[in-house]
Amino acid sequence: MSAASTGQPDLRLDTADPRLVLLLALGDDELVLGHRHSHWTGVAPHLEEDLAFSSIAQDEIGHAVVWYGLASELTGHDPDALGLGRAPHEYRNAILVERENGDWGYSIARQYLYDTADDVRLSALADSAWTALAQATGAIRREERYHLMHARTWLDRLAHGPVEARRRVTAGLSAALRDALGLFEPLPGEAALVDEAILPTSHADLLQRWLDLVAADLERVGLERVLEEGTSLADADFVPTSSGQMEAPAALSAPHLERRADRWEPVGEFSGHGGRWGRHSEAFTAVWEELTGTYRAHPGARW
Amino acid sequence: MTVHTAQSVTPEQVRAVVDTVPDPEMPPVTVGDLGMVRDVVVEAGADGARVVVELIPTYSGCPATQVIREDVAEAVGALTGVSAVEVRFSFAETWTPERISERGRERLRQFAIAPPERRQRPGGCLPAREDAPFALPAARCPICGSGDTTADSPFGPTPCRSSHYCRACRNPFEAMKP
Repeated sequence: MSAASTGQPDLRLDTADPRLVLLLALGDDELVLGHRHSHWTGVAPHLEEDLAFSSIAQDEIGHAVVWYGLASELTGHDPDALGLGRAPHEYRNAILVERENGDWGYSIARQYLYDTADDVRLSALADSAWTALAQATGAIRREERYHLMHARTWLDRLAHGPVEARRRVTAGLSAALRDALGLFEPLPGEAALVDEAILPTSHADLLQRWLDLVAADLERVGLERVLEEGTSLADADFVPTSSGQMEAPAALSAPHLERRADRWEPVGEFSGHGGRWGRHSEAFTAVWEELTGTYRAHPGARW
Repeated sequence: MTVHTAQSVTPEQVRAVVDTVPDPEMPPVTVGDLGMVRDVVVEAGADGARVVVELIPTYSGCPATQVIREDVAEAVGALTGVSAVEVRFSFAETWTPERISERGRERLRQFAIAPPERRQRPGGCLPAREDAPFALPAARCPICGSGDTTADSPFGPTPCRSSHYCRACRNPFEAMKP
């Protein structure tokens, strides 16, 4: 009988296996952002966007199930328990995905930054030495094309839109950018994953690939300055989640971005710990409570 | 298909039953029409055959997959000589529209859903990024057959469908995403 069947969110995982950490980072990002996206259902600016965000939410949660399915093969735990049965500090999602939706400008900015990062990451994982992982990217990337298309269409539309739309998407990008760098925080045990080509490209290299794409898009719409302004803000307000049992490491500090010669580059290193180590912002507590509420109230319930 | 031991039930018989299970969200179209069946394995058991059916999901986040799994298990379990059924979804192959049979395409049209246009480019799935960003291709209207249509949104009532409009017969319609 698993711990989750008692209704306590206390599924403990042996995260000494870096493959599991990778799967949890992938799955938790998709699950939490999928849940945030679903908050647009019924209240998006128009019907097509209701459908779009609902559909993207459903896809992301479906992708989380794929990653938890692989994690289930590694650990023997039920995928539902993996997704919904952990305490807050056991979640490995980046801080970016747990933030509140804010306004439409922020939601679009975040979706754009995230899905561009997801694309870069999945492209790399398609060549993973772990066959099951590489195979799963095939179906997921086929679906993610539509998410990226949605995000880029809206980025362009808002950036070219009336002054208010441009102002809001600019503010959204500035607010999301620093958190977005947290998507590239090195994973605990990353060196082993890279050595074994399970993660064929390190997060440091993925960050540069992502930055090249984002910089090109922002340049196209004349918002390149966000790269500088967005990362010159004070470090994000990470707090250890209340139940965290970490030895109070420093909060994650990300590199800042600089234009050098003809490309933007991250300067400096990541230090401290963020979402990949289970350290979250206060926004996570609310989303975790909602996300896992039904599971905690009715352990083992099935549709 | 793999036969480990000749049994009273053959993989062909199982396959024939699996092929006729309807898609719960588009009942005129079956699992076989959509090309979702990857493999059927029949193994001898003391009290009957153990059957493993391997399916390829058309969409990874599709909530219908759970229903399909149960429906397939039930249909195969009803065959004489079958003692156990396992239905698995596999990502070993990525589902593409090419897997939809001609009959499946016709049935989709009858259900007023445009089947995906056959892929123009060789190779696997299109990369998410190319010099020209990926765009939703135009679909032929399943109601009047016109090609004078617009692609309104890559999202629709289910994860696998997009929303379109026919300028010829002035009907909105849905298409299966490529």
